[in-house]
Amino acid sequence: MPIVSRPDFLPGLPKWSRKTLFALALFGICFAFAFPVLWLILTSLRPESGVYYVHRGTEFTLASFAEVLTDDRIVSAFLNSALISTLATIFSLLVTVSSGYMLSRFTGPASRIWFGTIYVFRCIPYISWVLPLYFVTQSWGLYDTYTGLLLPHVAVHICFFSWLMKGFFDGIDPSMEYAAMIDGCTRWGAFIRVAIPSALPAISALAVLCWLFTWNEFLFALILTGNRVPMITVVMAQFVTEMGLRWNLMAATAVMALVPAFLVALFGQKYVIRGLRI
Amino acid sequence: MFGEQQRFMLFLIAPAALLMLLFQVLPIVIGANASFRDWALYNPKKIWVGFSHYYAVLSDPAFLYVVLPNTFLFMILSVAGALVAGLALALLLNRPFRGQKLVQTILLVPLMVAPVVAAIMIRWMFNDQFGIVNTVLEAIGLEGQPWLVQRWSAFGIILLTDIWLWTPWFTLLLLAGLQSLPKEPFEAAAIDGTTTWRVFRFLTLPMLRPVIVVCVVIRAIDAFRTFDIVWTLTGGGPGRSTELFSLYAYVHAFLNLDLGRGSAAAIIGGLIILVIGVVLYRLVDRIAKA
Repeated sequence: MPIVSRPDFLPGLPKWSRKTLFALALFGICFAFAFPVLWLILTSLRPESGVYYVHRGTEFTLASFAEVLTDDRIVSAFLNSALISTLATIFSLLVTVSSGYMLSRFTGPASRIWFGTIYVFRCIPYISWVLPLYFVTQSWGLYDTYTGLLLPHVAVHICFFSWLMKGFFDGIDPSMEYAAMIDGCTRWGAFIRVAIPSALPAISALAVLCWLFTWNEFLFALILTGNRVPMITVVMAQFVTEMGLRWNLMAATAVMALVPAFLVALFGQKYVIRGLRI
Repeated sequence: MFGEQQRFMLFLIAPAALLMLLFQVLPIVIGANASFRDWALYNPKKIWVGFSHYYAVLSDPAFLYVVLPNTFLFMILSVAGALVAGLALALLLNRPFRGQKLVQTILLVPLMVAPVVAAIMIRWMFNDQFGIVNTVLEAIGLEGQPWLVQRWSAFGIILLTDIWLWTPWFTLLLLAGLQSLPKEPFEAAAIDGTTTWRVFRFLTLPMLRPVIVVCVVIRAIDAFRTFDIVWTLTGGGPGRSTELFSLYAYVHAFLNLDLGRGSAAAIIGGLIILVIGVVLYRLVDRIAKA
């Protein structure tokens, strides 16, 4: 048994009122964080006539979802977003795991310069390079294509993820890799066969984050795509200005955009929490 | 020329460096070039015009008296709000109780919500005719507000949305930080009968400072470039009163079709945040070494 317990919540009050207050506080917090999402879900389930009085009436229907799913543009936006997010995750990991490993395992001018570069580019606002990137992709014929959207998405994650990956590798003792090299492993062998397997939880956390970031990203898709490669965030933002009055359809699309993110996060939650703790 | 180790290091970073060169460095150079030229999207003459775009941006009252104050105010308030709320939640969750897993999962919800989706939800909740907020206000006898068409209420809602989105991020990282603190100082304090406030002020806060500073720096830099929630909630309106820096550059480049001026604005903003970023980095370094 520990010598002392953790500090009490609001000491000085009687125990029962402390417990009640604690429970109320927890409930209030959960409510504040969940309410907007619950309200969105409720709106999406209301028929068109009931959407303006969401709080009144008990009719529920899935018609809005059915209508949204007949819209080719929305369906293809979902598929595009899923495809780009998945590919961006794979490529980001390939690129950043090695870059983070370099930052963690080597000291010296090269490592310092690379770290400085990464920090500087992490600071530069997206708009400063995505805005002219519009012209770059156009002159390379990449505007409004999968490649033209995928590669900038991979590029943007390099800075932050290399930095996170460095932190993860810092927490892993390198002596195993040295032992492997003494036993005749090459540097690449030590990196791929020893370092990467022990960093797998962290890599999984990174994969979850990367997928979510890409799925949720808006500015890149807005600037770098037109009609051929619609992405779900852009389609929704257009929706809200063009069809601002059809809130049931809006809500249904938004709920469907939430579902994959929720599944990924729910599945990946333990990796993220464990990964962040290293 | 290079030793075996140098070659290994080079190969490790080569793909990342190549991607950054093509998709970040090159565009920035092209943008810098465009910012010195007469580059209207409908009629790109590309004539050299020197610093006139920079002059136009820096003497634009909308930029000086609306966009810059908005951006800094937003950056400071959103980081401060999310930090205070996140720290409070982390302290609350840093004790065992029944249902902790559930609360933690619910707290993670905003982390999964796309900023665009969050903005849509909030916009719907604060809809002046049918939104739940006005409905509740009217039910308790208060007057409903046209939230998104008044400058400061619109700004407040943008801020609220951002704090809602990022508080869990602070909570998660600070909670991880709290749980990795050594137990002994807290036990010593408890034996000495120190009050909760003094434990927080003189033990928890100083020991947690490195984590707090890193979170604040990352978040502050990200808050500076906020685009999506403003775009979806107000589009910079009413008028242009809630425009932030990213929106200003976007509007000039793609709505006013003046790439030169948009690029100049983007470069000015980039330089401002770089200065802030370097100063903050020094701060992190000093605190990490202390």
